[in-house]
Amino acid sequence: MPIGNVQPSVRPAQAGRTDGAVARSSVRRGGARSRRTGGGVWSERLAPLVLVAPAVLIIVVLRLYPLLLGVNFSFTGDGARNGMAVGLDNYRELFEDPLFRTALGNVGLLVLLLPVAVAIPGLLATFIYLRVPGHRLYRGVYFFPAVLSPVIVGAIFNLLLAFDGPLNAVLGSVGVSPVDWLGDPDLAMFIVVGVHIWATFGMALVVFLAGFATLDSALLDAARVDGASLPQVIWHVIIPSLTRTIQFVFVTTMIGMLTSMFGLLFVMTSGGPEGSTYLPEYYIWIQQGQMNRPALASAASTVLFVIMLVVGLLQINLLRRAGKEA
Amino acid sequence: MSRVPLGRWVVAIPMSLLALATIYPLLFTVNVAMKTRRDYILDRFSLTDALRFENISTAWNSVGMGRYFVNSVLVVTCSVALLLLFGSMAGFALSQLRFRGSSALFLACLAGLFVPFQVIMVPLARTMADSGLIDTYPGLILVYVAQFLPFTVFLMTSYYKTIPSEIVDAARIDGNSVYGVYRRIMLPLGTPALLSVGILNALFCWNDVLMSLVMMPSADHRTLMVGVTSLRGQYSDDIPTFASGVLIAAIPVLVVYLFLQRQIADGVAAGSTKG
Repeated sequence: MPIGNVQPSVRPAQAGRTDGAVARSSVRRGGARSRRTGGGVWSERLAPLVLVAPAVLIIVVLRLYPLLLGVNFSFTGDGARNGMAVGLDNYRELFEDPLFRTALGNVGLLVLLLPVAVAIPGLLATFIYLRVPGHRLYRGVYFFPAVLSPVIVGAIFNLLLAFDGPLNAVLGSVGVSPVDWLGDPDLAMFIVVGVHIWATFGMALVVFLAGFATLDSALLDAARVDGASLPQVIWHVIIPSLTRTIQFVFVTTMIGMLTSMFGLLFVMTSGGPEGSTYLPEYYIWIQQGQMNRPALASAASTVLFVIMLVVGLLQINLLRRAGKEA
Repeated sequence: MSRVPLGRWVVAIPMSLLALATIYPLLFTVNVAMKTRRDYILDRFSLTDALRFENISTAWNSVGMGRYFVNSVLVVTCSVALLLLFGSMAGFALSQLRFRGSSALFLACLAGLFVPFQVIMVPLARTMADSGLIDTYPGLILVYVAQFLPFTVFLMTSYYKTIPSEIVDAARIDGNSVYGVYRRIMLPLGTPALLSVGILNALFCWNDVLMSLVMMPSADHRTLMVGVTSLRGQYSDDIPTFASGVLIAAIPVLVVYLFLQRQIADGVAAGSTKG
């Protein structure tokens, strides 16, 4: 029942101690006594809007409008050409910049590693759901790094992976020569992504476990009675029943990789060595804050936004199709 | 699985090792923070011989982590309070009150979920600079509120949808205004969701580094996470002090996690299943 209409008829006390219907009709007539009442009705009518207004205003002014501003801004110039329309110049410069190309290449690498980042928590959640010994403990322990800031995680791993640090000391004691984990351009990005996965798989695990809670356990029992092996159970029962969850984890993990690795990159490698660990978000920050190229940074932001949209839509489509075939 | 107990143990071994790999880095850091610099250089892995807090107090006082800690507490507290207030107001209206344009407004809030800070960093920083809010606490608080409000509104709306509309109707018949219903009924009923969303938001704000870096250029306004990043260059040869700084930033999260693990996990799960 619409609240706004309930009001006059259920609150005779405030409506000048008259019948609700009378009060309402007298509002329309604009009687002097009921104008006060009319104000009350109006404030009640406006109440939902008043309640929603702060949230909507903040989101529109500080999220949605800046998106338009940024896209617009990406077609203007920097420095001497500040504010002038320059067409696609920023985008041209962007795609010619080896650092931005590396950043895009690294996004490709993230896409390739995505199945791993989803499969690990998925498999672990399956084992926890099937109650391996100690399953209660694992959930709490695995989830823990997910609540730590990437900055803290990065700082801890900086410590562990330093050239003269503990990991190399352990390797040295078994006769392996030290590895420059974060100083080798071919290795550094893998290490950073590995640390990111280490830090965040608990988040996906919790999401998977929430999905498992909705799983019909009769299906599992039936499969088990039929003598299905664990891989068969996973493939034929768990994956088809959890399509929605898996889809959600795919999209959120990818978006997490694209938007929440800044702290790790900033602390662990600062984009180096030789720019090998750039991601678009790091590139945007460098161009905006350090290089004073806000328009170029805006162009990179727009590209990142498009990548995120494409990744999101593509994955949803692919998984929907796969779900139909299965 | 009960018929193959051996298989269960085969899985349990790698899972235990992984659990160890998950907590060891933090334990290592705690241990290093207690050691003297000399002890650390001589042997990185040995347990500290005493519970030493000198490094922590050096990091807190002379490194400035204490100052940053206070900044972070201030910003996070204000941000979370505003997020819960605006989020629950909007959630109540969007779930329980029917009015023109409510679904469009809900969609506008949801659209905010798909705009990460990285994408709007440049125009937002410019707007904040133009309005004199850059490098101020209200500025950073506003940026945090805008960042996490879509998620908060979304969760509060889906939580309030589970409350039967008869409760609201009954409260209205008892003579409550819409605001009265919000204050006397919806806020108390929303406590579990507010707690869960509040903790998550507190973690998100506490852990943020990028927004703080962009919004707070001057050193005395730094939040704790930015403080941690500044340790790297300065204390890279004094690992115990470095580890202590990291620990100061991690301890509040650790404490919150130990006591409120369920609420955090529930919040994450709610965000996923209601999507």
